[in-house]
Amino acid sequence: MLARTAADLYWMGRYLERTEQTALLLRHQLSGLPDTPAEELALGWRCIYRTLGQIAPDAPLDADEAEVFLVADAYTLAGPLIEDHTNPDSLISCWRMARENATQLRPQLPLDVWTTLNQGYLWLAECDFPRAWSAGPTGLASEAIARLRLLAGVVESSMARDDAWRFLELGRFVERLQHQTTLLSNWEKVGRRGAPGIQLQWADLLRVCAAYELYCRRRTMTVRGREAMDFMLHDPEAPRSLSFVVRSLEALLTGIDPLASRHPLAPPYRMVLRLAATLEADAGTPFEMDETGGEADRAEGELLRRLAADGAALHDLIISAYVAYPIAKGLPR
Amino acid sequence: MAATTATRSSGRQESVEPLEGGVRAGSGAFADYGLEGRFFDELFGADGSLRPACRQLGEALGRVPPEELARIQESVLRRFLHEGITFTVLGKDEVSEQIIPIDCVPRIVTPAEWHEVEEGIRQRMRAINLFLRDIYHEGRSLRDGVVPAELVLGCPQYRVEMRDVRVSHDVYVAVGGTDVVRTDRGFAVLEDNVRVPSGVSYMLACRAATKRALPELYREHRVREVSEYPERLYSTLASLGSGDGSPRVAILTPGRYNSAYYEHAFLAGEMGVDLVEGRDLVMHNATVYARMADGLRRIDVIYRRIDDDYTDPVTFRENSVLGAAGLFHAYRAGNVVLANAPGTGVADDKSVYAFMPDIIRYFLHEEPILANVETHLCRDPDGLAFTLDNLPDLVVKEVGGSGGYGMLVGPESTVQERSAFAERLRADPDNFISQPVLPLSRAACFVDGGVQPRHVDLRPFTLHGSREQHVVPGGLCRVALSKGSLVVNSSQGGGCKDLWVLAA
Repeated sequence: MLARTAADLYWMGRYLERTEQTALLLRHQLSGLPDTPAEELALGWRCIYRTLGQIAPDAPLDADEAEVFLVADAYTLAGPLIEDHTNPDSLISCWRMARENATQLRPQLPLDVWTTLNQGYLWLAECDFPRAWSAGPTGLASEAIARLRLLAGVVESSMARDDAWRFLELGRFVERLQHQTTLLSNWEKVGRRGAPGIQLQWADLLRVCAAYELYCRRRTMTVRGREAMDFMLHDPEAPRSLSFVVRSLEALLTGIDPLASRHPLAPPYRMVLRLAATLEADAGTPFEMDETGGEADRAEGELLRRLAADGAALHDLIISAYVAYPIAKGLPR
Repeated sequence: MAATTATRSSGRQESVEPLEGGVRAGSGAFADYGLEGRFFDELFGADGSLRPACRQLGEALGRVPPEELARIQESVLRRFLHEGITFTVLGKDEVSEQIIPIDCVPRIVTPAEWHEVEEGIRQRMRAINLFLRDIYHEGRSLRDGVVPAELVLGCPQYRVEMRDVRVSHDVYVAVGGTDVVRTDRGFAVLEDNVRVPSGVSYMLACRAATKRALPELYREHRVREVSEYPERLYSTLASLGSGDGSPRVAILTPGRYNSAYYEHAFLAGEMGVDLVEGRDLVMHNATVYARMADGLRRIDVIYRRIDDDYTDPVTFRENSVLGAAGLFHAYRAGNVVLANAPGTGVADDKSVYAFMPDIIRYFLHEEPILANVETHLCRDPDGLAFTLDNLPDLVVKEVGGSGGYGMLVGPESTVQERSAFAERLRADPDNFISQPVLPLSRAACFVDGGVQPRHVDLRPFTLHGSREQHVVPGGLCRVALSKGSLVVNSSQGGGCKDLWVLAA
């Protein structure tokens, strides 16, 4: 496979994942508009904006005034994340970028994959945001999620499990790794900053991560903060837990770069092994049930910082190994 | 149409009985279908009755309600949109993707008519390949005055770098797309596109869409298949490779902002080859490699969809960022095949076109099967005088122009436009030719809610490998969708329709 094609697949996977992450956060936040206290909504918006690396419009990130995030402002706050073409992280921008990559990949992609992606983009591009909002604030995010999952299903059922699929999934899981570490970190840090008695609900984190039902089955229906965090770090089967993400990355890189073909191990693969080791080392650490924070929080914060740094390094290593390698290294032996 | 209008209450499609009394131009569903004697009509004979080969099609068109035709047309266009069958238009400030307008009514060509077109194109392509070999080697035809030497050697498309280069199997033109028109005098060749002919993907997309929209009608007509084109293209390209094992083939594209990018991607996908850009290629020891995810891999045959000028900044246009530096060096060394070969543009220069009948006679000792369109070279004083005296009645074209740009259509021009064009002609007569306004034939199209005639042309595609030559039994049928317009180019608002070549 061409190196540029590998890069396009990788970026397509990243953009699709980013689109879905944003849509998931928005759907959750907007579904709480009718009954969530304004202060908690404010925390939610702050967490979303921080997680997406955005500065909230009309409000500095460290603003304490909850009223700037009142329900009436939800339209203003959601707009830049959905329909703003100038915002590179909005749904429409990410979807467009995924489509741009897919356009370059048409020889590699099954027609159904391209058509589903294209139809989704055309739907969003032609969408009248004010009208869609008036029909129900969550409708647009929900429809976007449904279309993205349809696309994921088409990919699942129609793409061969070759390197094209692996690079696509690699991009998806690298994006998920980076997003989840940022989300977990912000949920904890930003979520605690509210007025006394006001904080983001840990059950909501699990819902955003599509892990709530699994958590209830595996652990307990009473969601405790540190246990929820532990679950999202270490559960081997929740698709957005970091442990699941790292194991998926390991499997993908093993397929792309069979162990026998390179010696020593390719740098991206070594980095993923390091991520796995870091998580495993943390898995046995007993966690505090006390929700007030303290030493355990600091340790977790440090862990998430390390995982985030390694996640960023992993991206660079992938590009260096498979796309932008020196020509002398690539010549046939 | 029978299939799409059939009722489904019984769970089965039911065929519809033909209309009684026959279908005639100017009546019934064809009330707006006016025949004009000076234009050959593809559907109706001069007496207004359906041509025998078009009977089923005409009768089906006659009984399908306009709203049903509109639904079929809409479904075809929607499919193009969703599947991204588009061409790119570069605007001043933005890049847009447009669907090529497609008309759902096919044009029918009989086996006898196709035989003439096919043989004529075969003959022409053979002559062109011999001519190109000659002008880059011995130059007999130039010495013998078949074509003026100064015309060929002064042609901007003549590549001196190709002198004495050994071209694989002497196949300069592996892929050709000949523009054929039909007038009241029969078929004629309007242009030989032997540089980077495009449009074959639209031919295939039109066929797929029409087949889906009109399944029964298609089956009833025993239409010759075109779907094997990608496979034949691959084997043509592979046959030009070095011959040791299976050569690695790639398509070289200028990138996704090229107007024909969809076609490049489509063909690469169908053939299962890499779609490379110049930046993907690396030269090492006069050998071409593609930068793959797992290292560099040699490329043996490149189907280039990029003009000569942009192929290699070292040899040709030095500011090109689309090609690959050193590519021509590898080509000269015989380490890679380029299809089509650089320098083929001489053969589709509009001045050289005028000499094509003589070229055929000289190299093949045969009379041309397909006629040329009467052409006046403005480089000749007589040709220039004739052109200037008859501007209102002529089409004047730049010799290296394409896409309908830079031309004057006399009957549609204003006095001021003709005056300005006359100045250009006098200033640079070598750069222009003139031709009469051709009465292009008309075919039935669904426009403005009804069936009406529109002018059409035809671009069949030819593949020329090391051993065999193949003319695809079909082609891109371009349509001037505006009433009365003779300009069929997609860049000028033209569309396309499927061409059904009937089996003998």
